[in-house]
Amino acid sequence: MRRLLARHATFAVMSCLTLAAAVAVALLKGEAALRRALSGALDLAAFIFPVLGAGLLLAATMRQLLPEGALSRWLGAESGLRGLLLASLAGIVTPGGPIAAFPLVLVLLRAGADRGAVVAFILSWALNGFQRILIWEIPLLGLEFSALRFLACLPLAVAGGLIARRMPASWQPEAR
Amino acid sequence: MSPTQMLVWAMAVAAFGLLLRRRGLAPARRALRDTGASLLRLLPMIAVALPLATLFAELVPPDVAQGALGRESGLAGILIATAAGSLLPGGPFVTFPLVLAFLAAGAGPAQMVALISAWSVLGLHRILVWEIAILGRRFALLRVASGAALPVLAGLLAEALLLAFPALGR
Repeated sequence: MRRLLARHATFAVMSCLTLAAAVAVALLKGEAALRRALSGALDLAAFIFPVLGAGLLLAATMRQLLPEGALSRWLGAESGLRGLLLASLAGIVTPGGPIAAFPLVLVLLRAGADRGAVVAFILSWALNGFQRILIWEIPLLGLEFSALRFLACLPLAVAGGLIARRMPASWQPEAR
Repeated sequence: MSPTQMLVWAMAVAAFGLLLRRRGLAPARRALRDTGASLLRLLPMIAVALPLATLFAELVPPDVAQGALGRESGLAGILIATAAGSLLPGGPFVTFPLVLAFLAAGAGPAQMVALISAWSVLGLHRILVWEIAILGRRFALLRVASGAALPVLAGLLAEALLLAFPALGR
C-alpha cells in the first residue's frame, strides 16, 4: 500500500511539473519553443523504446538466474577491504529499482554484513547498478560518457564503506 | 537501432536462452511476466518525463550550461552540479534525458558525472521514500553522511580521466 502510494505520488508530482514546465515554456519562449520541446520528446521516445524492452528483459532474467541468497552469502561474514569490494560488486549486479534492492539490504544485515559493507552495497547499486546503465545511460548518453561515469564512480562505493566504518555513530546492524 | 542497442538485445536474448536451458519453463515465464509488469509501470512515467526533460531544456539558458556547468567550470561547476543533482526529483526517466539536454547545450562531462552521482547518492526522493521507511532514520543518516563527499570526488575523478583519456569526453 505504501509502495502504491509512493508510485502514484511520484506520477502526480511529475505530471504537475510537466504541465507547469509546458506553460512556462509557452509563456516565456513562445509556441515554437513548445513545439520544438514536444517533438524533441518524441525523438527521445523513439530512441529509448527499442532498447527499453531488452533492458527490462535482461534485468528480469538476471533476477531469475541469480539464486536466492547468493549475494548475501558473498557478504555475510565478510569484513575488511575484501568485504567492501565484494559488496560493491554485488551492488553493480543487483538488478531492479529500490523496490528490489532495499529489501536485499535487510537480508544482508541479517546475514551479518557490517555497516561498511551495507553502505558500500547501497552506494554501489545507486551509482553503478547495471540495469540503469543498460536501460537509460548507454542508450541516451552514449558509450563514452557511460564509461567515463562508471570508471569515475567505481572506487567511490568502497570509499563510502570505509568512511561509514569510521563514522562516530552508534548504529549497529543487529539493532534492527 | 544503434550498435549498442543491438548489443543490449543480444545480451538479453542470450541471458534468456541460458535461463530457459538451466531453469526451464516456469522461471522463464516469470521473467517474461516481470518484464511486462515493469514495462507497464514505466510507460506512464516515461510519457510525462520525456516532455518534462525537453521542456526544461528550453528553460535552461544556454549560457548556464556552457558557463556555470561548462567544460571549463572546474570545481565550481562540479559543486553546482552536485547541488542540482541532489535536488532532482524522480527517477532515471527524468535525470538522463535532462543530462542529455545539458550535454547537448554545452555542459561539461565531468560536471554531468557529478550531477548523476549526486542524484544517485543524495537524491532526497529516494532517501525519504525508501531508505527511512525500510532501514530507519539512523541508518539513512549514516549512509548519507558517508556518501556526501562522493559526487564531488566523482566529478574530480572524471576530470582526471578526461585528461588521461580525452576520447571519453567526445
